[in-house]
Amino acid sequence: MQAFFEDLANDFYTNLIAADRWKLLLQGLGVTMEITILALILGLALGFLTAIVRSTHDKTGKLIILDAIARLYTTVIRGTPTMVQLLIVNFVIFASISVSKVLVAVICFGFNSGAYICEIVRSGIMSVDEGQFEAGRSLGFSYAGTMVHIILPQAFKNIVPALGNEFITLLKETSISGYIAIMELTKAGDIIRSRTFNAFFPLITVALVYLAIVILFQQLWKRLERRLRKNEQ
Amino acid sequence: MSSKKNKAEHLKNDVAAANAGRGKPIIRIEHLTKSFEKRGFGKRKRRSGDAEQPDDAHIHAVQDVSLSLYKGDVMVIIGPSGSGKSTLLRSINMLETPTSGHIWFDNVDLTDKATKIDQYRQRMGMVFQHFNLFPHKTILQNLTLAPIKLQKRPEAEVRAEAMELLARVGLADRANAYPSQLSGGQKQRIAIVRSLAMHPDLILFDEPTSALDPEMVGEVLDLMKDLARSGMTMAVVTHEMGFAREVGNRIIFMESGRILAEGTPEQFYKNPDNPRLKEFLSKVL
Repeated sequence: MQAFFEDLANDFYTNLIAADRWKLLLQGLGVTMEITILALILGLALGFLTAIVRSTHDKTGKLIILDAIARLYTTVIRGTPTMVQLLIVNFVIFASISVSKVLVAVICFGFNSGAYICEIVRSGIMSVDEGQFEAGRSLGFSYAGTMVHIILPQAFKNIVPALGNEFITLLKETSISGYIAIMELTKAGDIIRSRTFNAFFPLITVALVYLAIVILFQQLWKRLERRLRKNEQ
Repeated sequence: MSSKKNKAEHLKNDVAAANAGRGKPIIRIEHLTKSFEKRGFGKRKRRSGDAEQPDDAHIHAVQDVSLSLYKGDVMVIIGPSGSGKSTLLRSINMLETPTSGHIWFDNVDLTDKATKIDQYRQRMGMVFQHFNLFPHKTILQNLTLAPIKLQKRPEAEVRAEAMELLARVGLADRANAYPSQLSGGQKQRIAIVRSLAMHPDLILFDEPTSALDPEMVGEVLDLMKDLARSGMTMAVVTHEMGFAREVGNRIIFMESGRILAEGTPEQFYKNPDNPRLKEFLSKVL
């Protein structure tokens, strides 16, 4: 029994403490967060934009070309694996252009997330009663004004849970960035594994770090949801 | 030829005579027609098909309606459901795009594609059957949103006026509540003062009491009576015959998208000459 705990302590030391390996994980976590947050911002911008284009087309019949582009975009992105998209962005699109790998990942995950966020936002806009739209227009708001002041705030409230879900998905999806040689959290764990020939500690640690971030995020998000709901009781 | 046509001519002359000396109308509707493509179950389609299509492919919600609304008029539109009264009313502020015909507001043809409809809608209030208050805004914000954003009036002034309006309907203490915290009758009163906050030239009411519990109908009708007495121009689609009789100065009876009868409340209820109107009134009175 004692030998078991000694082994455990030893493994813990070699995998996390020795050679400042925990710093490697911390660095990886930083990169993971950087990619996730930047990609989320890009994804939100793209998602809202395409969702507005698509629902404007549905409502008014305008923006035919933009709508077609938006539909092509969501179809292609949602219809192919993220992993393949990442490889294509890195080895095809940016093959001869030298940019930082992190930027490549941000662009790939941003565009990927945007397609899903588009559908989320669209469902949010559709969930707002048509009467709200008519009330806005009848007061004299333009189509855009009605969207901004009346429809989108209500749509946003409806999609907050789904957006939280998207953040969580995105965070975990960035773990494939190692395939284009980005040293993010998962890759960092894997490097330690290859150095120490111990799979348990580095991989479990990595998993726990993801889990901890998701739990923390869930708590924060729950608070946001509650505050938004308080607005209308 | 058809007695219908004669009657229409007759009606027009009558109305013209009755309106002589009343100045220019606020709203003039000319030969308005709105047809929907038959698709789904009475679902409103934004655009209707071309005129060449055979008639049975379309539902004619409004057929060749002409009428004028003068300042201070309280025009009540009655008729069985599906008669096109709401479509007619919603066409006045172009929430429904007419298939053909014209709507003149202040010498501007609202059906003209070049017309910037938003600025004219600011001058026409609208009250809906389902209130359509903004649930994410407080009562006070519901009133002040459009005047501040669209008319660019100073916030303090708009807010003070909104509070006065709320006091007028006895809901000043609910200024910071949200719509979900109000009863149906209270919501509809707020919806009415929301349109008043824009200082409209006229207000359109689309079945304002139809979604209310019976005990709340009174408070909304009282407010509408109050408005009528203060000289507000109103066009009201309603099933409230008592209101039509008491407050309306003109009543229009529609069926199958056409105006079958028009007149003052006395003419209407004392001796209705149209057989369909007689039948309708016998059922609802």
